Order: sequence, then C-alpha cells, then structure tokens
Amino acid sequence: MITLGIESTAHTFGVGVFDENKGIIGDSRKNYIPKKGGILPREVASFFSDVAAEAIKEALEQAKISINNIDGIGVALGPGMGPQLRVGASVARALAAKYNKPLIPVNHAIAHLEIARYLTNMKDPVILYVSGGNSIVTTYVDGRYRIFGETLDIALGNLLDTFAREVKLGPPYIVNGDHVVDICAEKGNFIKGFPYVVKGQDVSYSGLLTFAIRLKEKGYNIKDICFTVREIAFSSIAEVTERCVAHTNKKQVILTGGVAANKLLNEKLTKMAENQNASYKPVPFKYAGDNGVMIALTALLELKHNITIEPENAFINQRWRLDEVEIPWYYSMI
Amino acid sequence: MVLFDDIIKIENFLKLQLIKRGAESEIRLGDFLNTKAIYKIRVKKRYMHDDLDNYLRYERTRREAKILATAYASNINVPKLYAVYPSVGIIIMEYIEGNTLKDLLLSNHEKYITFSYYAGRELAKIHKANIIHNDYTTSNIIVRNDKLFIIDFGLSVYSTNIEDKAVDIHLYKRAVESTHASISNKIMKEFYKGYLDEIGEETGNKIIKRAKEIELRGRYVGERRTVWKS
Ligand SMILES: Nc1ncnc2c1ncn2[C@@H]1O[C@H](COP(=O)(O)OP(=O)(O)OP(=O)(O)O)[C@@H](O)[C@H]1O
Ligand SMILES: Nc1ncnc2c1ncn2[C@@H]1O[C@H](COP(=O)(O)OP(=O)(O)OP(=O)(O)O)[C@@H](O)[C@H]1O
Ligand SMILES: [Mg+2]
Repeated sequence: MITLGIESTAHTFGVGVFDENKGIIGDSRKNYIPKKGGILPREVASFFSDVAAEAIKEALEQAKISINNIDGIGVALGPGMGPQLRVGASVARALAAKYNKPLIPVNHAIAHLEIARYLTNMKDPVILYVSGGNSIVTTYVDGRYRIFGETLDIALGNLLDTFAREVKLGPPYIVNGDHVVDICAEKGNFIKGFPYVVKGQDVSYSGLLTFAIRLKEKGYNIKDICFTVREIAFSSIAEVTERCVAHTNKKQVILTGGVAANKLLNEKLTKMAENQNASYKPVPFKYAGDNGVMIALTALLELKHNITIEPENAFINQRWRLDEVEIPWYYSMI
Repeated sequence: MVLFDDIIKIENFLKLQLIKRGAESEIRLGDFLNTKAIYKIRVKKRYMHDDLDNYLRYERTRREAKILATAYASNINVPKLYAVYPSVGIIIMEYIEGNTLKDLLLSNHEKYITFSYYAGRELAKIHKANIIHNDYTTSNIIVRNDKLFIIDFGLSVYSTNIEDKAVDIHLYKRAVESTHASISNKIMKEFYKGYLDEIGEETGNKIIKRAKEIELRGRYVGERRTVWKS
C-alpha cells in the first residue's frame, strides 16, 4: 500500500509519499519565509496555492511512481490556520476526485506523534511535543492519545523566540542549528528567584517571560538571564514529562516538534528517562517539524483501518483536538 | 512541629521501608513517637541545575508542611503533620492506611464513583480556606474507611483568585479524563455536585465556568465538534 500526504496547517506546504514496504519514498517541502515580521495567513495561503502543483510533482518524482499507483490521498484537515488548511483540503479533494482515490482525513498533531513513533521505533511511549505553537505531554490510553500535560499559556518555542526578540538577540532565532538564547547562555550563571511554575502536569511560561524581560531592563547580565530562562523552561517541561512517565508507568519517552533540536533539552530528558528506567529518543530533526511524510504515514495507517472520508464532507477543523481521534491502529504500527 | 533540620542526617531515613515511589519523592514507612508514620523524602533530580533543584525541594517541602498544618486546622481531611526538615526535603506525617482513589476507580468498581462527590466537597473546603492545591488528582486522594484524605500539597499556594481555583478543577478533570476515560463523565458529575454543595451554587458555578474556559485555551484543545466518524 502507498499513500500520498498533504500538509498545509501553518508555514510549510509539504507533500510526502509513504510505502508500506519501503517506508518514506517521497518528501517535498515548500516553506513560506516571511519577508518581515509575523505570518499573514492569507499571504501564506496564496504562496501555498502557487507551489502546490510543483510540490506534488516533486514528491511523486522522488518516489518514482505515478499518482495512479497511489492507494489513497491523506490530508491534514486541522488543527491549524484556516486559509492554509483550505488550500491543502482543496488540493487533496481535487486529486482524490480526479484520480478516483480514497481521501483520508488526518489530524496534524496525531501525524506528528505517529511519525515520531515510527522513526524511533518506540511502540508505546510518552511523547513530549514542543514547538513554536505547542507544548504537550501525551500518551495513548484506552483507544486514544490523552493529553496529560500542556502549557497553560505560551508554548516553549514561542517563549524562547519572544524573549530573544524582546531583548534583541533575534531574529533570526536559530543560528547554525542552535537557538540564540542557548548561544547567549553559554557562559551564563544561574540567577535565583525566577518564577518556576508547574501546576499538576502543566507548565506556565508567561510569568517567566515577563520576569526575564524585566530583569534585562533592570540591567542584569543577559548571559545569566538566558541561562536561567532556559534552565527553568526545560527543567519544568522535563518535570511534567517525568510525572506522566511515573503515573502511567510507561518505559519509553520520545521528543518531537521544532524544539526537539535542542541539545540541553535532550540532555535533561535523557537523564530524566534514566531516572525512571525508561529509554529515550528524540525524533530525527528532519521529521520533527511540519512535513507531508507524517501525513502520508498516518493516512496509510488509517486506510488500513478503512478510515476515509467523502470529498464533499472533508471540512477543515481549525481546532481539532488530538484526543478526539480514535487510534484503532495503535498496536499495528508498521 | 519539630524544626532542627540542620542536624538531620538523610542516611537515617534511607533505611526505612520504601512503600511507594512518587514522581518526585520516596514514600517510606517508619514510626514517629511510637506510631506508624510516613516519611516523604524529596529526592534530587539530576536533570536540574543544583541551585534550582535545591530551591525547589526546600520550597516544596516547606510549603507542603505549612499548608498541611493550615488545612488540618481548617478541618480539611489531611494527614497530621509530625515534623518537617526542609533543607533535606523530608516531611514526617500521619500514615493513612488505604488505597488511592485512583486505584479504587481503576479496580473497576463502579461503586467508587460516588467517592468523587466527596472529592468535590473536599476541594471546595480547600478553596474556602483559600488554598489552591495545584495537583488535585485521584492519585493524591487516599480513602481510609470510606473517608477521603487529601495529600501532596507541594505545589500549593494561598489565593482567593477564581482563575487559580479553576485550575484545580481543570487539573482534576483532565486527570480523570486521561486515567479513567470510560467513566469520566460520571466521575465529573459527582464531583461538580459535591463541589457546588459545599461552596454554594453562585461561587461554584463561576469557578466551574472559568475551568471550562481554561480548557479551551490551548491550540490542540478545540471545542468538541466532531466532523466525521470512522
Ligand atoms: N535548536 C533549537 N533549540 C530551541 N528551539 C528551537 C531549536 N530549533 C528550532 N527551535 C524552535 O522550534 C520552533 C519551530 O517549531 P516547528 O518547526 O515545529 O513549527 P511551529 O509552526 O512553531 O509549530 P507547530 O507546527 O506545532 O505549530 C521555533 O520556536 C524555534 O525557535
Ligand atoms: N500520608 C500518607 N499515608 C499513606 N500513603 C501515602 C501518604 N502520603 C503519600 N502516600 C502514598 O505515596 C504516594 C505518593 O505520594 P505523594 O503524592 O505525596 O508523592 P509525589 O512524589 O508528589 O507523587 P506524585 O507526583 O506521583 O503525585 C501516594 O499516591 C500514596 O499512595
Ligand atoms: Mg502525588
């Protein structure tokens, strides 16, 4: 079985091709790079419309197959931003109708989790998903992924980026694979008295952000502030992940999302997992961010369980919860 | 309450029988002035910077003890505090012999669902004392002779704020949904009833409403609106 997957929830238009026997055989990504400042959804959507055909062609060429030999078309219908989601959905609907292929609805968050499980070969892990928009601790219980912990306000990547911007360390936020906050923290020391907020299995970062900005204004050494901000941010997310591991008694931990590239966070999670007698692996960086391959993989798993949708019913859902999705394929990961 | 933590040697406690390992502590059983007692020992986390780790263990131990004492004085069902040694992260408290509400509910006994009513009542009592628990889950409730005891106040704070109280309800609900998925609605129904009965409809409904708002904030946590079924 072979599936094609389309990702268009945020700033990447991605097309992936996944073969049940060979694995990843096609992967094309078109990243929208904003000219200045933030992302304007409509601008991104129009960029997506321009690159969609090319991305599909590229992915199929890499895969060395014709679209006629594809068994199903998967598309991320949410969660994400409306205008971008609509582009992916229309492209997928059109392809499915034209080539008479089953259309498979994929939840973008679930796809992040499934590609993480597939690539790390961890069958039943606790998963920490940290990116610019998300900080979630989740694991499978009773048919679905359940949210054990999350951020009560801003996400981890957003905390680092916003802080860097406010104290003028960026943009760009990533230099040679490292975050500018990490680079700045290299020779820093720990400052006592920063807010460390963990509530149950949730973290909260907005107090940390304002506190750090205020210390900068008061003239504290920026290296020390950076050192302390990341120490607290990563320790608290490691702590809530540890709680999930302890409470569910699972023996595997994986990390995904853009912030998975972070060295210190990886070190902390490695030690945490050792402490809980669990094994730990981060997702290979290339597949930690948004991509079409994860959509294709999840679509394939769904298709094997006959989960498809009629094109006329394939509506986008900007706020599609990951714990709404039943995962009947959980124990039959490829 | 005894306070001479500078002369306490942690080695002495590590010989006691380990009965549970929590996410952040070891729970050991020993005795204190000839009665059985729980020794809760917060252990070092190697993944944290030393200063942060020491600060958190000190602060949470101190806080847990302080709040146990005020809660007990407000007639909330909590273990009696015997002693605390913040600088080594040790609390000695009453041993509550029984099972956690989590284990009872997992043992498949529908009859324990009604205990969630009392979990709601107890949380309302905690909130009336302006204490925020911050880790209110079924594993932090022990049932002894059909009476509920609340433990684990390490993350607690004092506050009169609606938002803070709502977070407690949000956390309980999420814990119930992730741990007792198939019976979560029934558990929450009992819980709300108990909470409202104790705190009063007007205040209670405000807090419950806020808890629902908190739930809707995250990106992946949209309103339930199933578009398709498999
Ligand atoms: N080495 C690194 N250390 C820390 N953060 C990093 C590193 N590399 C990337 N990031 C962060 O990852 C985030 C980007 O994540 P990602 O590419 O997964 O996309 P996103 O759009 O932010 O997330 P989502 O798709 O979940 O909404 C940014 O906040 C960026 O700063
Ligand atoms: N006073 C007590 N009497 C009897 N058992 C207790 C007592 N205190 C704790 N326990 C047992 O030990 C377990 C862990 O205790 P506690 O929640 O205080 O520790 P923790 O490290 O904060 O754990 P977690 O983070 O997992 O909630 C409880 O679930 C309970 O089974
Ligand atoms: Mg506990």
